[in-house]
Amino acid sequence: MATPEVYVLGGYQTDFARNWTKENKHFSALMREGVRGALEECEIAPEEVESAHVGNFAAELYCMQGHLGAFFTEVDPAFSGLPTGRHEAACASGSIALLAASAEIEAGRYGLQCVVGIEQMKTVSASEGGAFLGTAAWYDQEAEGVEFPFPKLFGRLGDEYDKRYGLDDEYLAEISRLNYDNAKLNPNAQTRTWYMNKEHALCRTDDNPAVGGRIRIADCSQVTDGVAVVFLASRDYAEKWAKGVGQKIDDIPRIKGWGHNTARLRFEDKVAESREDEYVLPHVRSTITNAWQRAGLSDVNDVDGIETHDCFTTSEYMAIDHFGITAPGESWKAVEAGWLEIDGKHPINPSGGLIGAGHPVGATGVRQLLDGYLQVTDQAGAYQVEGARNFQTLNIGGSGTTSCSFVIGR
Amino acid sequence: MAGTPRLAELRKWLAGRKIEHVVVLGANGTMGYGSAALFTQAVPKVTFLARTREKADEGLAAAVKQVRSPTVASRSGVGSYDEDLESAVADADIVFEALTEDLEIKREMFDRVEKVRRDDSIVATVTSGLSINQLCEGRSESFRRHFMGLHFFNPPNVIVGTELIAGNDTDPELVDFVEAFSRLRLGREIVRTFDTPAFAGNRVGFKVLNEAAQLAEQLGPVLVDRLVGPYTGRAMTPLATIDLVGWDIHRAIVDNIHQQVADEAHATLKLPDYMANLMDQGVLGNKSGGGFFKKEGKVRHVLNPATGGYQPEADIKVPELPYIEEVAHLHSMGRYREGMRVFLEASGEEAALARKVIAGYISYAFHRVGEATESITGIDMIMGAGFNWAPPSVLVDTFGKSEAVQMVEQAGLPVPPALVEAARSGEPNSFFNEPRVNIGKYFVAG
Repeated sequence: MATPEVYVLGGYQTDFARNWTKENKHFSALMREGVRGALEECEIAPEEVESAHVGNFAAELYCMQGHLGAFFTEVDPAFSGLPTGRHEAACASGSIALLAASAEIEAGRYGLQCVVGIEQMKTVSASEGGAFLGTAAWYDQEAEGVEFPFPKLFGRLGDEYDKRYGLDDEYLAEISRLNYDNAKLNPNAQTRTWYMNKEHALCRTDDNPAVGGRIRIADCSQVTDGVAVVFLASRDYAEKWAKGVGQKIDDIPRIKGWGHNTARLRFEDKVAESREDEYVLPHVRSTITNAWQRAGLSDVNDVDGIETHDCFTTSEYMAIDHFGITAPGESWKAVEAGWLEIDGKHPINPSGGLIGAGHPVGATGVRQLLDGYLQVTDQAGAYQVEGARNFQTLNIGGSGTTSCSFVIGR
Repeated sequence: MAGTPRLAELRKWLAGRKIEHVVVLGANGTMGYGSAALFTQAVPKVTFLARTREKADEGLAAAVKQVRSPTVASRSGVGSYDEDLESAVADADIVFEALTEDLEIKREMFDRVEKVRRDDSIVATVTSGLSINQLCEGRSESFRRHFMGLHFFNPPNVIVGTELIAGNDTDPELVDFVEAFSRLRLGREIVRTFDTPAFAGNRVGFKVLNEAAQLAEQLGPVLVDRLVGPYTGRAMTPLATIDLVGWDIHRAIVDNIHQQVADEAHATLKLPDYMANLMDQGVLGNKSGGGFFKKEGKVRHVLNPATGGYQPEADIKVPELPYIEEVAHLHSMGRYREGMRVFLEASGEEAALARKVIAGYISYAFHRVGEATESITGIDMIMGAGFNWAPPSVLVDTFGKSEAVQMVEQAGLPVPPALVEAARSGEPNSFFNEPRVNIGKYFVAG
């Protein structure tokens, strides 16, 4: 029997430039605004929701709040009594929530699932938050006592490329420039007002300080507050819903394929394992290819664009060859040729990605799928990839540790 | 977003013209250096011009400080009008005028620009309210075809809302080009407005600010800023905003509107006499060390508009307004509609006054449709992206249409026909039609 289909009915994203602490708002307001926004946007009554999955990395640390599945029930009286849960896999938490929700739909348990990716991070100072993020690595071995451990780990990813294939930082600066430029087209991007150009990204002064080896501020995605919500549905529910909103079921996007792998936690162990491999992070590669196989696609030419996990410019540089846009080690060719531009051959991060749109950790995987949904339904506005039918996401937790990928399309 | 051109269209508008050199006139002023800094993000060469080279240097130093990027200095040159204007303007793709808000001063400058500009160069003015058509009156056809208003808000590196104003003779293709350039290269949220006094944003925004200043004469600044505070849909309170923009700028804008138009809210646009008197004594807001509020050490002191004196905020008694606490609490939990319902139903004359100001904002904004912008969306976008205020449509949607109509009626203000019609039809459609813009961000819990 073929696997039952999982439909994506749409969703909602908060403006990732917002600072909810400055707005004097409680964590529950973030949850509430995201979920209610999605209900309104998708014209779904709260009573229709059958189950909810919340992706979140570290609300216990940032907000002194756990049990986030239970918080979902606070959004609407109709949610009291629903089956809910919370999922954590560092920066891939949102995708893990999506995987759990879609698996339950495939199993026939529920017809309509609400998936929430959420993180509030502006509650603490940058260095304190940096230490919290260190718990996504093997904390006492890789992060304890290290200021900003993650830029350093992803700096080492760049160094590994440099060692194996050579890496010119100019291409990293260009990746930063492109993400910032795309973000200017996205009304919910964190950095849409920020000053950036390639020359600035390349500058090696205090205006662009080093934070971890070759990683400078312009190479980093920034922490922020945000929530992204999508509704996933079974075919039965999607048909009923489509009729109600005057759409055809064939026009509703589906999750066509997914990939999910977890590599060893420490960066040095991952790199040691891949020494003989042409890919620096082979588990990331197989996550991507698994998603194609399940979607019945052959390669990257079958998707019209990608929302990838550019927590740092080096992670996007890695994604370029892992997606097979170039041969391994030759990602720079795609950067130089302009293939990654919104109207290029292989658009990456038309939304601005994590660097441009912002990276509220637990929200990112859901935000990526939502952006994929907007693209394949022609609703991405100024950052629309013309004629997009299939989009792929890549969401990574830790230093390339948990990877998840979805293909969404019609 | 609805109303936003698609990327393919913007790219088409952008094709066929390159901006390699921008010359900013008046580059020592706040808008001059702020705009020049913004241009350096995307343009390889930006020339800061001012009356003297030293003044232009000061502008450049301020721009570097504002943006903190080495590309501001590396892409910029400086010069004076007397020594460098002719050669710089002759080479410019965009001449960007940011002189004092004075028609004659600007017109004299355009006289000099016209003599040396290339026939294909764009001339833009950052004026916040002078008439685009008047500014280019009597100039050559080429000048008029290439002339338009590009009104950045202060500070341009933070506020993306920008008004784009064509004159009667402006080449429509150039207007499209400037919109595409501003959106794609400078990250602007562009709103096209008609050439009416103060355009859309300042027309609507300063009406509200001036009404707050008028109320302050009786109620005092603390109470006014509390009543028209963040809970009503804004990040910054109105009188603190006037202090920030400067009383002189405030006066220039409201006087301009008051003199040139006699609309239904004419009286609310008259500058209060106490402000004019205090300005004669040098009170200009933050830039003169204080306005409605001033810091002495760590203590905030508040103006007494009747006497011109100041007293510590702690010594000022204001009525208890528990409804504001309640609204703020609901906002902090993300319950914006419930919060605004509490505001609508709050008893007492203070709450009624606050509702009158907000009703005035809604009424005035909707009455400007067709005059300042083509649709309410333009006003919504500039109030959101230019002032960081809840757009009028967002307020109407949040209150409910019938409730909004009733609120305007109770305030004794003219109800915009579009509101009456929407309330009567009972259709659930919202006025605010930008689904990608969060409305919650405008309701600050404070």
